[in-house]
Amino acid sequence: MSLTIDPGIWVAALFTLAIFSFLYKDNPVYKFAEHLLVGVSAGYYLVQYFFSAVYKKLYVPVFINGEYWLIVGGILGIMMFARLSRRSEWVSRYPVAFYVAAWAGYVIPSYIQVRILQQVKSTMFNPFAMSIQEALSATVLLVGVITTLLYFYFSAEHKGGLKHVSRIGITFLMIGFGATFGYNVMGRVSLLIGRFQFLMTDWLGIIQ
Amino acid sequence: MTFFERMMSIDRRIIFLFVALAVAIPLLRPLGFPVQVSEEVRSFHKEMAALEEGDIIMLTFDYEGDVMAELDPMAIAVLKDVFPRGVKVVALTTYAGGTGIAENHLREAAEVYGKTYGVDYVFLGYNPDWSGTILRLGESFKKTYPTDQYGKNTNDIPIMQEVETYDDIELICSIAGSALSEYWAIWAGGRYGVKVISGNTAIQAVLIYPYYQAGQIPGFLGGLKGAAEYEKLIDEPGMGIRGMDAQSIAHALMLVFILVGNIGYFFSRRAKREELRKG
Repeated sequence: MSLTIDPGIWVAALFTLAIFSFLYKDNPVYKFAEHLLVGVSAGYYLVQYFFSAVYKKLYVPVFINGEYWLIVGGILGIMMFARLSRRSEWVSRYPVAFYVAAWAGYVIPSYIQVRILQQVKSTMFNPFAMSIQEALSATVLLVGVITTLLYFYFSAEHKGGLKHVSRIGITFLMIGFGATFGYNVMGRVSLLIGRFQFLMTDWLGIIQ
Repeated sequence: MTFFERMMSIDRRIIFLFVALAVAIPLLRPLGFPVQVSEEVRSFHKEMAALEEGDIIMLTFDYEGDVMAELDPMAIAVLKDVFPRGVKVVALTTYAGGTGIAENHLREAAEVYGKTYGVDYVFLGYNPDWSGTILRLGESFKKTYPTDQYGKNTNDIPIMQEVETYDDIELICSIAGSALSEYWAIWAGGRYGVKVISGNTAIQAVLIYPYYQAGQIPGFLGGLKGAAEYEKLIDEPGMGIRGMDAQSIAHALMLVFILVGNIGYFFSRRAKREELRKG
């Protein structure tokens, strides 16, 4: 065991323990750590955003490089602050409208291409051009996509054949939710492992 | 309270204690459980292994401190894989909190493998608005990032002389704690045709499978397990492999608790029904 003398690691370790103390019950030490985290984060992000957005993307191009057309973006940004007063709130609708329109233009064609067309294409297959295992896998995928889509078909009552098919669809959904839950557990445990590795390696030095 | 009712209402602090022990003990006394490599990780490795000396990749640190435990091992493993083979790295982050993380890993790996900043790798830093950044990089890296993280003009950085658009890089490796990998695949991959592979948190990984299946993301690492598998493939054991024993024991413990809770529920419900029947 070789306890570190690095003050940064000591601070991180003690705050980790302070946050862990909540697992026993809420307490002032936890509250202090939580509030400090919020405060430090707010300060950090304010500086980062100001430097990377206002300074690097507006001040430098406009006032140093002479790209004056960027002032339009700056004015739209300033107009967003009009939301702070109820009387001038309407002014902020213009930059919001501009942003929504630009965003929709960005997103709609790309999403249709990548999230719908290419995904649908990947469900189409030629069973004679693949191994039995691949064909079986592709068939399961196709059945899963069709039955799940039919589960969300609400223009006809789910009875008779549609009821059975949508039951298969919901089974696929349940398997999907189960996998998501499993991955969730794995993710949370990984975060705990990360903290324990930090405490045992960097702070206490009991594992190499 | 009956025995079965007690099974359903174990104090959460006892569960926390058991989970803590399940994680701590295997870290102190590794059990050496085997790490099986999944198909998606093998595909990720295949894409990386195809890179040759002098190739340039883009490594994006799309995460912040909250998911370092899962994603740091991936980022470190990627650098350990590419730097010794002479593959160059253009790194950036789409998260304001990702700058410190990226700087640390790049600097440490560069020191170990003797890489020179600006020649073998560059860190472009954080750029606000990830969607605009992804799209604009397809038109010009230098216009999107007129300066690197340290304020140096990108026109004066040697590695950036070789990079103008996505056409000049072999692939994008997005290490992401959110849906950013999907967006790289949608905009950089879908619109500009650049290959995108990813490392994702376990929670996000389940959403990457459709992209993997459709070939839009030809390989990915899912959670700490994905990192461990990749470390195994490149023969560089690190934080991923070290955490796998703890992960397995903790998962087994979860299963035990789920079983205990369900058995308690099943039998206490049966006992209540019998009580009702007897009147």
